[in-house]
Amino acid sequence: MLSLLQVLLSGIATGCIYGLVALSFVLIYKATETVSFMQGDLLMLGAFAALGLHLQAGLPLAAAALLAVIAVGALGAGLERAVLHRALGQPHLVAVLLTFGLGMMMRGGVASVPAAAQEVHALPFAADTLAIGPLVLAASHLWVILATVLLAALLAAFFRHTRTGLALRACSEDARVAALMGVPVARMHTLAWALGAALAAVAGLLLAPVTFVHLNMGFIALKAFPAAVLGGLTSLPGALVAGVLLGVAEALAGLALPEGVKDVVPYALLMAALLLFPQGLGVRRGGRGGV
Amino acid sequence: MSRVRGVARPAALRLLPWALVLALAMAMLALGADYALGKATLVATYAIAGLGVVIVVGQAGQIGLGQAALVALGAYAQALLVGAGVPPLAALPLGALAGALGGALASLPARRLGGLYFGMSTLAFALIVEEALVRAEPWTQGAAGMAVGAFAVLGWRAASTLEQAAVSLAVLALALVACHRLLRSRHGRAWRAVRDDEVAAAACGVAPAAVKMQAFIVGGALSGLAGALYAHWIGFISPEQFGLVFSFELLMLAFIGGARRLAGAAWGALVIVVIPQLIAVLRDQLPGDWARAAGLELVLFGAVIVAVVLLRPAGLAGGSARSDAAHGDGA
Repeated sequence: MLSLLQVLLSGIATGCIYGLVALSFVLIYKATETVSFMQGDLLMLGAFAALGLHLQAGLPLAAAALLAVIAVGALGAGLERAVLHRALGQPHLVAVLLTFGLGMMMRGGVASVPAAAQEVHALPFAADTLAIGPLVLAASHLWVILATVLLAALLAAFFRHTRTGLALRACSEDARVAALMGVPVARMHTLAWALGAALAAVAGLLLAPVTFVHLNMGFIALKAFPAAVLGGLTSLPGALVAGVLLGVAEALAGLALPEGVKDVVPYALLMAALLLFPQGLGVRRGGRGGV
Repeated sequence: MSRVRGVARPAALRLLPWALVLALAMAMLALGADYALGKATLVATYAIAGLGVVIVVGQAGQIGLGQAALVALGAYAQALLVGAGVPPLAALPLGALAGALGGALASLPARRLGGLYFGMSTLAFALIVEEALVRAEPWTQGAAGMAVGAFAVLGWRAASTLEQAAVSLAVLALALVACHRLLRSRHGRAWRAVRDDEVAAAACGVAPAAVKMQAFIVGGALSGLAGALYAHWIGFISPEQFGLVFSFELLMLAFIGGARRLAGAAWGALVIVVIPQLIAVLRDQLPGDWARAAGLELVLFGAVIVAVVLLRPAGLAGGSARSDAAHGDGA
């Protein structure tokens, strides 16, 4: 029973990270109709940026983390202005290849720094555990869940209660009509990329204590794609919920099923869902489903 | 893309592929014929796998993100059959068949959905195949990989690089001829019709689901065939060789060369094989730390694909819009 609880918690925590990455993917996809295959690389970049700022530049951890998230967000905005806006209105594969190429360049760039390429790094807030009676929980898992809930609330408030959030939603709903209503659509696209990149960086920071910081940590984004698709590709809450669902399913599969099955559970679920529910689980018919 | 540019620059850009060939020829002289023939073998084999992508992505217009899994199926079928004593030449068609069956399986979700959703399902399919190959340890020896013997026909063994290059170029030539004929047939027209407008194609009596499956079967057979040859040339296969990175490499190959044209597969294969060699040469020239920078290859690869997508969206082999219209697509 206790071990089940622990497995569940770690599954939820992992699922939160899948969900956050899926959220960043869906945010960009919804606003700009562009598929981003570099969310994992942005995630990795965010973690390394925070690590570099903390260890090399000597900033306090919180400041380094904040600065890293802002920097990655700015990078996302810059890339949109410089390159990615060219993928607007093009077939999906154009964006897939562009973002994959850019992601390769980021991975290559980090790999070129000898100190980053060689080893696995830990962030200093990693190892704590929390004991509640006989139950021992990893503090990092609780952090992840707490931060995800907080972020989701912040995002919801942003989309519900601010003018910019409303404009972004309008833009996702129908860019032409939004433009007619005076929404600066091009600027909204840049904002969506900045937000998407920053979210991925946050996911990287949250993942850092769980798996440590290394070059291939971005591969976790591969599990975020099933989450995004299961959520219907256009629903932000759907992506988050699907991410948590996949994380829990994976953790339970690790507990109950033979080794190796765990790793394919997200993909198997995705295939099953696509074959059985081609509409997606998170999409309400009639296509209203708010952001 | 801007039409003015397309008219003003094709002469210079059309020379680009030939410049690459020249560079390759010079490298051949500098590094020895044996080395160059080895690379030619790889180029031809990659090109055959790339043809599969050209059919699925360029002709039928589907987002296929898991082509490497079909190459893997071909490679493993070949390795297992040859290991069981089947003559390699007889096993080749079965390797292609394994790829075709995999393609048919991967295309099943296309009955219900299209576009990005389907693309994601091919991604999931590839990741499942990779994991299955790792876990099927009694047959595939799992992640440790398995050795594959030399290619042989009736007592003649393709042991030297010259023989290997000859075999793969011959297979590539056959595949090109077959694809050329297919693209000119009603199947090719149906693929392009579905690519350009699925609803219109359906209205004309073309069944999109069946057509997509056909494209995946043909594309899978080509990729499986390439995998079967690849297993012989490399002599050792393991599931991780056929991961997602390889899938994207094939996709990039097709786009760099020109996904809408058969020749694109060959040009793309050339670029994909040559770039790492170029970087190896460059690295020796660079001073100090740069020489050891492991990420240089990734950065350059990424830059090439971004540059091609931005500057030459039709790929190296793709002509201007005008010549596309004149020749029809393909060929």
